[in-house]
Amino acid sequence: MLILSRKVGESIIIAGRITVKVVRVEGDVVKVGIQAPSDVPVHREEVYREIQNNNREALTSGRPAIPKLRPDPASSTRTEVRPCECHSRTLNTEPNPQTINRK
Amino acid sequence: MKVAETVETKPWTADATQVIQFPAGLLGFENLKQYVLMGSAEEAPFFWLQVVDEPNLAFVVVPPSAVVENYTPELSDEDVDFLGLSSPEDALVLNIVTVRGPTRATVNLKGPLVINRRTLIGKQVIPLNAAEFAVNHPLAVGE
Repeated sequence: MLILSRKVGESIIIAGRITVKVVRVEGDVVKVGIQAPSDVPVHREEVYREIQNNNREALTSGRPAIPKLRPDPASSTRTEVRPCECHSRTLNTEPNPQTINRK
Repeated sequence: MKVAETVETKPWTADATQVIQFPAGLLGFENLKQYVLMGSAEEAPFFWLQVVDEPNLAFVVVPPSAVVENYTPELSDEDVDFLGLSSPEDALVLNIVTVRGPTRATVNLKGPLVINRRTLIGKQVIPLNAAEFAVNHPLAVGE
């Protein structure tokens, strides 16, 4: 792994089109700003891995039977999903703040 | 853009000849970019999202309105641009189901599939409010 030292405000440029900038350092949290073209997906790794693993579990081969959905899925399953109260476009709800900027 | 509030609840009649393009693939399956959506009345509300190049492979998907209430994934501007969505009505939202046994299945609410109905371009997005949603939300299935 390439390891580079950067000060706040300094950047790294990758492949001439992706810029990673150290925006702020607070204790053990580093705020990173990323500028990348829209065809380059940028994700927090732990969320990416979680969905990737779920996709791998979900992919089926040879059409297994799908269990029937019970007629009224109300009660238990429905109450577990909280309505979205967050309509903010910032990503501050996550533990490791990260600024994603794109051009 | 909030996409879920206006998503149709009636079954989506998929034409098997219509190929849905996922230019970025799905997470972990970046090379599988073309799918067709297929369904039958017996399996409703579930559909099969079948890989075009390997028809043996498919994901079970479900419109979120069929299994949860108040599901409102918030798309980033980048995803809206990528999908070319000009209004929420253009977005078809589907969530991937993992069948874990005859009476067990979960649905991924954290990484929904969003498809532009007009262009049939799709993407597995991580919504801005993904932290609110479970990757393996239990479904009420079986006897």
